[in-house]
Amino acid sequence: MDDLLADFVAETREMLQAIEGEIVAWEADPADRERLDAIFRFVHTVKGNCGFFDFPRLEKLSHAAESALSEVRAGRRRASTSLVTAVLGVIDRITDMIDAIDAGEELPEGGDGMLIAALEPGRDEPDSETIQTGEQAGPRAARAGNTRSIRLPVELLDRVMSGVSDMVLARNELARRLRDHGADPALQGPFERLSTILDEVREGATRMRMQRLEHLFAALPRMVRDLSAELGKQVMIDLEGGDVELDREMIESVRDPLTHILRNAIDHGIEPPAERLAAGKREIGIITVSARRTGNRIIVAVSDDGRGIALGKLGDKAVAAGVASAAEVAAMTDEQKLDLIFAPGFSTAAEVSQVSGRGVGMDVVRANVERFGGSVSVSSKEGRGTIVFLHLPLTLSIVEGLTVKVGAHTLGLPRSYIVEIARSVSRSVEVDRLGDGIFLTFRGERVPCLDLAEVLGLEQEVDLERATFVFLRLVSGDLFALAVDRVLDNEDFVLKPLPPALEAIGLYGGTALLDDGQPILKIDVPGLAEAYGLASHARIRTAVQEHGTEQTAAPAEHAVVFTSFAGRRRAIRMAPIRHIHTLPVSAIELTDGGALATVDGTILPLLGTEGGTLANDTVTALRLGDGEFELLYAVAGIVDSVELPGPVVPLEGDETLEGTALIDGAIVGVIDAHRLFARHGHAALRAQRPTCRLPGSDPWVASFLEPLIRSAGYDVLGDGDRRAADIIVTLDEEANAGAAAAVVRLRSRPEGTAHDPDSIYRYDRDGLLSALARARSGAR
Amino acid sequence: MNSLLLLTRIGGRPAAFRAEDIGSIVELSEIAPVPRAPGFVAGLAALRSRALTVIDSRKALALANAPEETDVRAPVVEVGGHTYALLVDRVDDVVAAVGEPTPPPATLGSAWAPVAHGMIETAAGPAVLVDVAALVAGPQRTAA
Repeated sequence: MDDLLADFVAETREMLQAIEGEIVAWEADPADRERLDAIFRFVHTVKGNCGFFDFPRLEKLSHAAESALSEVRAGRRRASTSLVTAVLGVIDRITDMIDAIDAGEELPEGGDGMLIAALEPGRDEPDSETIQTGEQAGPRAARAGNTRSIRLPVELLDRVMSGVSDMVLARNELARRLRDHGADPALQGPFERLSTILDEVREGATRMRMQRLEHLFAALPRMVRDLSAELGKQVMIDLEGGDVELDREMIESVRDPLTHILRNAIDHGIEPPAERLAAGKREIGIITVSARRTGNRIIVAVSDDGRGIALGKLGDKAVAAGVASAAEVAAMTDEQKLDLIFAPGFSTAAEVSQVSGRGVGMDVVRANVERFGGSVSVSSKEGRGTIVFLHLPLTLSIVEGLTVKVGAHTLGLPRSYIVEIARSVSRSVEVDRLGDGIFLTFRGERVPCLDLAEVLGLEQEVDLERATFVFLRLVSGDLFALAVDRVLDNEDFVLKPLPPALEAIGLYGGTALLDDGQPILKIDVPGLAEAYGLASHARIRTAVQEHGTEQTAAPAEHAVVFTSFAGRRRAIRMAPIRHIHTLPVSAIELTDGGALATVDGTILPLLGTEGGTLANDTVTALRLGDGEFELLYAVAGIVDSVELPGPVVPLEGDETLEGTALIDGAIVGVIDAHRLFARHGHAALRAQRPTCRLPGSDPWVASFLEPLIRSAGYDVLGDGDRRAADIIVTLDEEANAGAAAAVVRLRSRPEGTAHDPDSIYRYDRDGLLSALARARSGAR
Repeated sequence: MNSLLLLTRIGGRPAAFRAEDIGSIVELSEIAPVPRAPGFVAGLAALRSRALTVIDSRKALALANAPEETDVRAPVVEVGGHTYALLVDRVDDVVAAVGEPTPPPATLGSAWAPVAHGMIETAAGPAVLVDVAALVAGPQRTAA
């Protein structure tokens, strides 16, 4: 009997979960017969099942809902909002009762009569109203057939999982022994096969723990409906990516944060209907919850088309709430301001409402999500809406990690925090000891560093001269480094929780076994940062300070040292350098306005040629870009790439130089790249693209020539376009001296004819491009 | 009731574990020490696919003069979902209990009293019946 009851409870719960989305969908479209049928079937089943057990109240409720729904089915009644609300009420009560039955408690008393009365055709509901007839256009695609499934206790799954893990370890051990003993090929084959099968089984076992996000999504429409009704707003929810699979435990962990974010979106994000109309939006707000998998992470995005976050107000509130000072807020970037909503004790709502906005808000969401290794971020456009992103690890128990060695100890670091690894001997890291602290200067940032041996209380500190530094970035954005003796390997950790005695240390986040069966501890990176005060709650504050001390922590910049055409030694900062090209001299065109060169099908200004001659067949050129324009800088030879050792000393007199720097004991002029772009950037891409007219009739022109000309930066004029062309390209035509524009003449045959030496063979790409460049500079 | 007991010696004194508390007995080959761990945690060891926390029973009892030597065999117990291996002086034998445990006498001493379920008579003589959960919690329970 108990078994039967447990089955009843489990089955009813499952149906309840499945039905929630259906009800809201049905309300949105009462003519949807299929949804109605599904709900009807549910109450009918509950009623029927109640007959086996003695639950008279449950039976009465489900019976009342059943009869109301069958009226609707028979077309005698309309599915009004009040009816839907009443049915929802009944279903909620059924849920409560099921919970009570499961817990072996008395059913919660009273109120059933009211619920049943609400199901009666009411006063506000004109019965006579015609029922919308006419089926939907074509029957809805049949719902995916029920896949056969069984219910299993979680412990059994976990036992299978750990059994499989044991097998993998035994397999690894066996593999090692086979290797050591020089395995018999007769053994090797079957062993390989066993190994492959085992990997498949392991994958399957991992998948058993996975659940589709649908399970989580199913409850959302109902929640959105209730909340929006309560707040007098109209909200539609759109769900995408319900088929994304997530670890079952992860789904449970993400339920609360997601609910919280949705509440926020409805309460603070979506405006009341009148306000929406006034802002020129649709009355109904739309919230989209979408999930997708990228690599080892799942990203769940909750976006609304509401009022967005007003950064100005946000800053004022932060000041009022004492989260940051006015000066700090003033110094913040927009991104940092947005981040304020995650500050503890911060709530963005103008008024505290019933639903959300009690000051425990996004900080709790962030803390919860980070607890299981995820992260939250937000982006918002005032007046347009807000998107909150939840980044979640695929499973709770498998973490990609890096094993490091400190003294005799091997420890694991979760991969997700690691941004970079640098070795002390590479000299790219500068180590300073200030007070008791270690500080690194790396890529222009001053980063606090912890000696992991010291953290662990080992006798022997890490030798900073030979250390490897692992740079870790916390979710809050704080960067710090750990000095370790050695980095060993990348491995997937199957994490097991720590016993209380070890958890109390506050340094470790779990235990794992390496592939060779060695047990290790995973470092709890946020915990560690917390313990050493590296995770500034107010990331804002450090950011502001950094702002003030920018001068002292001037980033070490890299530069390329080269010999110029004039024979001088020059340097140019690394940042704008995109590429180093070796150009054939034939690709260079000297014009009155300066040199031009064709590279990869584009024409770029070529600088740096003054003071020298193009004596060789090829020219080395640095391709510089500022993100919009590109240009080439010719060099006689590249000497080295160096770190700019100190500040660049400004220099009077030579406008082309930013200043001078001392490099390897010599004074080297540093090219002012900014000035290069200021003067020549426009030539790389004229504000208005030059126009070009092509010979119309030949199909070769459309399929071959036109794309080439376009990619070289020209607008191709159509036949009807009366604009004057800068350049006219002709094919197999005689030279015509009277043309208004520059003319580039092509010929179909490779060999030139005696009377037409200037024409270019039509597949001579470089020739064509440099002719274009020449014609263009002439045309200007 | 003839329940079975695992008889060991901890700090030179007979200590018995109820057989149903003991998952298995493992031979510990390597114990990886855990930096910054409390003294009674000897480290981690691997049991098949699980990491075991190795508890030094003598230190968990805060016994002052325990012998250095420990048995390589260690009883494995599960407390609160975590698996522990217990380091003891010596694992003796599995014996049958004679009669029911009796409440611990007041003269057991401050180290033993908190971890004792009671006294038990066995075929091999009397022993303290150890409360596994109290043992793996370490000596801080005395302060609490």
